[in-house]
Amino acid sequence: MSPGSTETRNAQTRLLDPSVLASMSNLELVAKAVVEGFVNGLHRSPKFGFSQEFVEYREYSDGDDPRYIDWNVFSRTDRTYIKRFMGETNSHLMLLLDTSASMGFGSASTSKLQYGKYLGASLAYLSSRQHDAIGVMLFDDDVVDYRPPASKVGSLQGVIHTLDKAEASMGTDINKPMNRFREHVKKRGLVAVISDFYCDAEELLENIRPLAMHGQDVIMFHLLDSDELDPKIKQSTLYEDMETGQAIEVEPTYMAKAYREKIQNHIKNIEEAANGIRADHVLINTADPLDKALHNYLTFREKRG
Amino acid sequence: MALLGPLFLLGLLGIGLPIWLHRLETQVTEREQFSTTMFLEPARKRIHVQRKLKYLLLMALRILFFLILVLAFARPVLFSPPQALITEDTTHHVIVLDTSFSMQAGDSFATALQRVQDIINGLGDDEVASLYTASSGITTVATATPDGAILIQALSGLAPDNGKLDLGTMVTSMNTLIEASQANFVLHFISDFQQTGQAVRFADMIPDVINGRPVLLELERVQTNNAANWMVDSVLVSNRNAVEAGIRGFATNEDSSERTITLSINNMLQQEQQVTLNGGGLSFINFDNVVFEEGDNRIDIRLLPNDSLAGDDIRHTVFDNSPPAPVLLLTENPQSLGVTYISAALETAPRGYEVITQTLADLDARVLQRYPWIVIEDIGAINASLATAITDYVSGGGAVLAAAGESSLGLDSVPVLDLAVGSNPIRRENRNPITMIDNSHPALSETSGWGSVNMQTLPVSLNGDERVLIAQADNRPVLLESNIGRGRIMLLTTALDNTLSDLPVKPVFVSFMAEAARYLSNENLLIREQIAESFLQLSLAGGSSGQVYDPDGVSLLSLSDTTQAQDIPLNKTGYYQVFSSGGEVLVAVNPDQRESDLTIMDAQVLQNWQNVVAGTANSGEQALNSESGVADEDLEENEIWRIFLILLALIVIAESLLGNQHLRIRTGTL
Repeated sequence: MSPGSTETRNAQTRLLDPSVLASMSNLELVAKAVVEGFVNGLHRSPKFGFSQEFVEYREYSDGDDPRYIDWNVFSRTDRTYIKRFMGETNSHLMLLLDTSASMGFGSASTSKLQYGKYLGASLAYLSSRQHDAIGVMLFDDDVVDYRPPASKVGSLQGVIHTLDKAEASMGTDINKPMNRFREHVKKRGLVAVISDFYCDAEELLENIRPLAMHGQDVIMFHLLDSDELDPKIKQSTLYEDMETGQAIEVEPTYMAKAYREKIQNHIKNIEEAANGIRADHVLINTADPLDKALHNYLTFREKRG
Repeated sequence: MALLGPLFLLGLLGIGLPIWLHRLETQVTEREQFSTTMFLEPARKRIHVQRKLKYLLLMALRILFFLILVLAFARPVLFSPPQALITEDTTHHVIVLDTSFSMQAGDSFATALQRVQDIINGLGDDEVASLYTASSGITTVATATPDGAILIQALSGLAPDNGKLDLGTMVTSMNTLIEASQANFVLHFISDFQQTGQAVRFADMIPDVINGRPVLLELERVQTNNAANWMVDSVLVSNRNAVEAGIRGFATNEDSSERTITLSINNMLQQEQQVTLNGGGLSFINFDNVVFEEGDNRIDIRLLPNDSLAGDDIRHTVFDNSPPAPVLLLTENPQSLGVTYISAALETAPRGYEVITQTLADLDARVLQRYPWIVIEDIGAINASLATAITDYVSGGGAVLAAAGESSLGLDSVPVLDLAVGSNPIRRENRNPITMIDNSHPALSETSGWGSVNMQTLPVSLNGDERVLIAQADNRPVLLESNIGRGRIMLLTTALDNTLSDLPVKPVFVSFMAEAARYLSNENLLIREQIAESFLQLSLAGGSSGQVYDPDGVSLLSLSDTTQAQDIPLNKTGYYQVFSSGGEVLVAVNPDQRESDLTIMDAQVLQNWQNVVAGTANSGEQALNSESGVADEDLEENEIWRIFLILLALIVIAESLLGNQHLRIRTGTL
């Protein structure tokens, strides 16, 4: 690799750094910067790029971009069909972003919610490049906002706008929003759940399992702050729960040992729950660049075909 | 300050400050936000209890801080019995070491120190010793202690000074210092026992009987022979160009000494002579053609080589070589005898005056303002207009010395002063002596010999504002002073021409005129030669404030002290510089000449002294067993505010440590 390409690579990597992204106010710009930077840095082109090589027709359904209706076929058959091209995956991506109060936690410049927004926007942008229908649901202890999957023009901007206005508040109750989501989702597709998953693993499993049984491919982005994974305190500290307001005074020795064991057990339980329903579990430290999350996402898509 | 003093009670309000601050602190709770507490477990309760205790302890420390601070300012005292280690069975050795000037001779002081050490080293059980030095006064060096090391240590800084020791004064002072204790006293006095130190009254050298207990007197002689000594006794300046040095020998007539006498003016050697000095009496050495600078001159006469007492081989003298000051003499007749007497007296005064004689008939009153003071030979000779002019002159700050001559005999009232003249006329055949002299007046403090003066005086009636300085029988004023406006006038109610008084032909006349001139011309009245260990009255320097530098050039007064008249102790020999509103003057300081006579007291006298003291003590030995314990009034007050300050410092440290720890807990960070 030439020195010039090394510099380009470094510049692209920097674009994935959460602290750099935090300085960009436009979420769509963030998504473009992340995805373009990420894609340009790959050694080979993924099989998700837009291609003009025709493959087959597919019956039109709600949310499909009308621009791709083959009007010739319609004139002959009086039925609406969509042209499909090489690289299209004919998939729906549904982003489920947790906006509970705990997602507002962040020891550095970027909170978990902000990181989740970047991640969601980047995933949406990637999918829109493949003409996937993309939708989003914000939830805390209920559904805060919902935008059904669509691939028409402007759907990306709509999703990004929805993500952009998300604010951390309220507590987490995954039952109610998941029930609502199951009522809305009709077609198979990808479901990306972005959350810190501060809930019971069994409860989570019970709520995700129906999605998997319904044919949805679920990928769980588990966002945690570095201070949640590796807390460092020197004195006894009074911690206040951001969701419940409950205050607990803890000792440094506890945080150094018992807490870490507990959080690791929790992560392990969530991961096992995900594996139990063949969902992907991606643990992300919000201090890390976004490429890990994007790479996992692409791997997941390739795996699911 | 009493504990119920208003300031103390006000200070106690400060205790409320930490309480108030801690109450504020408890109302503000700082918390760290965390995403979830589902994995957290509360700390054990012990932490809370510890923290609460630390919190209360911190508040208590802060309250204690204020309490002790206020107590410290209240200057609390503890009462304790004096000299707690001294009982009725204790022997208290009171060691008095002579540090007067004569102890500088030879090895006297070294021998004395050795004697003191011997006494200290010989202290036994139940014995304590205290140490004093005796010179012009008594100084406590170490209070009663059984610890010899403390006393030996205290000895190390001692040296003879320039003072004069009087044994009577020393014993009297010791009586006041040791009378409070109940121990058995042994008074050790280590000295060269000069004859000149002996008290005028032998009884003054007997210590008081203390609580009926025997006081033993142990006299330790450091010299057993009369040591020969020569000193510079006097320095006289004549005709502004000659110096006469008087050298006194304290030895036998057979003794003589080959010495070199040097004369230095302002630290510059001008002349020296080789002389053979007699063993006893005075020898005078003259130096001619001596050149003085204008103003104050430092005259140092030295004897070389030095003898065993080197301190008196040099004498410091100040000579004021200022040009004669002009003084106006108003007279009817410039050829009169009075003019001659007055002029001669003023021109031969140490300061030197240039007398300008002016006849009254030719006087232009405006010239009065050129002179700080004037002399009127006969106040009865001035007319009304001149009287008005003189009154204006005095009111404006001028000074007048006036006499009452022949022209005053027919006066009804004295001009200027407006004093009525009585009906009893001056009778030439009846001269009366002086019966009262106010020696406290600056113009009369240094004059003597008025007793031999007889005079006839003008019978004046006082208005009440005048101060009579000299008077004859039946309080007839001879010399009076009156203040008019900002000036003053002194009136001599007799003539200065030897017609009504023999004052002009008496020796006192010259000194009186000199002192009166110095007083009226408002010159400084400082005595330019003083004895070491005496005091310099700065108020005499011509102003109520000033600064004084000692012979080493060290300023003796702080800035605030320079605004107040001070008495300055003259501890060193040499020249003190005095700066005041009256100008800059030098004061020469020399040791007391009596200390130069190293003739010691007879051994039999010393033995008698010890015997008398022992006898007095034994006769007064009456048990006062009823005086057991210590009376309340004898209790010593020991201030303990220093202890409070130390406590305060410890509390501040503890508070800082605890406060920091507490702070860290409360604002613990991730």
